[in-house]
Amino acid sequence: MSSLLVAAKEIVDNIRDRQTLFYALLFGPILLPLLLGGSLVASFKQVSIDFDEVTDLAVDSAERAPNLMAFLRTYNIDITEAPGDIQKAVRQGEVPVVLSIAESYGDALRDGRPAPLTVHVDESEKSSSKAARRISALLDVHERTLGALRLQHRGIDPALFDGLDVTTNDVSSDGAGGQLLASLLPFMFIMSMVMGGFYLAIDTTAGERERRSLEPLLTLPLPRVQVVFGKFLATLSFVTLSALLTALSIWALFSLFPIELMGGQVRFDGATIGRAVSLASPLAPFISALLIAIAAWTRSTKEAQTYLGLMMVLPMAPFFVLQFLSISPSWSSVSVPMLGQYLLLEQSTLGEAIPRMHILLSVAGTAFATGLLLWLACRLYAEERVLG
Amino acid sequence: MIVADALHKKFARPGARRKEAPLIAVESVSFSAQDGAVTGLLGPNGAGKSTTLRMLATLIAPDGGRAEIDGLDVNRDVLAVRRRIGFMPHDAGIYPRLSARENIHYYARLCGLDGRTARARVGELVERLGMDGFADRRAAGFSQGQRTKVALARALVHRPGTIMLDEPTNGLDVMATRSLRKIIRDLADEGHCILFSSHVMQEVSALCDTIAIIADGRVAMVDSLQGILERTGESDLEDAFVRATGAGS
Repeated sequence: MSSLLVAAKEIVDNIRDRQTLFYALLFGPILLPLLLGGSLVASFKQVSIDFDEVTDLAVDSAERAPNLMAFLRTYNIDITEAPGDIQKAVRQGEVPVVLSIAESYGDALRDGRPAPLTVHVDESEKSSSKAARRISALLDVHERTLGALRLQHRGIDPALFDGLDVTTNDVSSDGAGGQLLASLLPFMFIMSMVMGGFYLAIDTTAGERERRSLEPLLTLPLPRVQVVFGKFLATLSFVTLSALLTALSIWALFSLFPIELMGGQVRFDGATIGRAVSLASPLAPFISALLIAIAAWTRSTKEAQTYLGLMMVLPMAPFFVLQFLSISPSWSSVSVPMLGQYLLLEQSTLGEAIPRMHILLSVAGTAFATGLLLWLACRLYAEERVLG
Repeated sequence: MIVADALHKKFARPGARRKEAPLIAVESVSFSAQDGAVTGLLGPNGAGKSTTLRMLATLIAPDGGRAEIDGLDVNRDVLAVRRRIGFMPHDAGIYPRLSARENIHYYARLCGLDGRTARARVGELVERLGMDGFADRRAAGFSQGQRTKVALARALVHRPGTIMLDEPTNGLDVMATRSLRKIIRDLADEGHCILFSSHVMQEVSALCDTIAIIADGRVAMVDSLQGILERTGESDLEDAFVRATGAGS
């Protein structure tokens, strides 16, 4: 009961603190997804080519290659008139690319020689290079057809020229991009949880001691365990709020800008994010207990900020470790707090099935660590050095 | 009622290695403070006044000796002792983002008062300590006098029999000091046992029924002002203090 009173007071107290509120409500939930998720979504949109999308293509002297134009039109390309100064138009971004057909195109084609074409592109411009790649891919297809026809015409099997028949079979349900996004999701969650509770944890422990309000508080008729638990609950509520808001803004971000990864198997829809939230939920008490224990151990808010600042590396550690080392989910790896959630969230986002035992072990491992940290915080509060 | 018997406390020196001798904050402090009276702990800075009060307030455990509040051991019956004491530390230590009223209300609830009783009690204290003008303002910009009043109200909120104040008049102006003195006198007259520490002679001589002179972690003399003057053969407390602690010799 007393711990609820302590928690309620700390929450009211910290809602009045702009710094705490900024980090709990804005940094993790809004800035982080916008910066990380937003830029990723944007780059996906720029890099990935949608061959079904109808686009214009400016062609110089289209009348010299009527068959090619007909071929391009079947691939959703509308042919338009090329601008006068092609170089300038492409460089200034008036048109993304220009295809120009040389005067000798028709003759070369008829004589069975390579028929000259030029694609004008600005490689430094993402939209231009993307358009050029689409055109090049289509021209490749057309070239192969032409080549095959020429060989058949001369009585040669076109397959003779294919020395190897290589098939790449991508067994993951998405490409590397989906992998990166999937590992970014737990990163954003954990980061915003840590940031959400960061200042409240410091303010209620090291801050309280520094303001000298801890001393009279501890002379009140309530066990110190209740005080610690109240501060833990207050931190937990901010951490949870921050995590939920982050989930909401990730959901909003991906519903506004839906990206399909490899056949639409990877989606950041409500169900995916809901699963991620529930898999990450044991981390909320764990992170709260960790923040409280560290902040209680330090002697001043400055020291607490230093140590907890270093702790910011913690949510990043599994992210980077998993980029370089391939740790697969196993009984031992999922039991480690943070690392386990990283692995499970990644799997769940990629739509892979997770063994029930893994979920159980990750909850149990994290809960055990939480209990240990809370016990440690209570021990610290029982010591005289807590008064500073 | 407070009884301290040979209280002893030592601390590890900050930044010291393990082998170095610890700092003895309180060597041996014995005295008693009666209900309905003001008892002063008089001593220079570093004499061990705050450490003594912290031990009596159950904040730190003594390394030797014992102390009782109303017959309850401060080391064993910790929660029962805390219910009987109101402690105001050296710094007011109030929450700057809460209003004066919220600060006091928080303590009232933690002491077990229900919401309605707590509100009524806070209102009573706001009136009694003359905090009407600033009760609903946030404490961040309070003057030292206002902060002290809030801290005192907080210490009184659960009607403790024993009230301990660590240098309560520090940083107060003349008017605030006078009003605080009157409040302390009234509380003693109502039957509370009041223990307060100070290094200001005037303060102690104006207010205390019993004075415990403390220096270098030991109680040098405990008596009424009159008794101390007679025993030292001096005419004012300052000279008596110097003689009693042997500082002048």
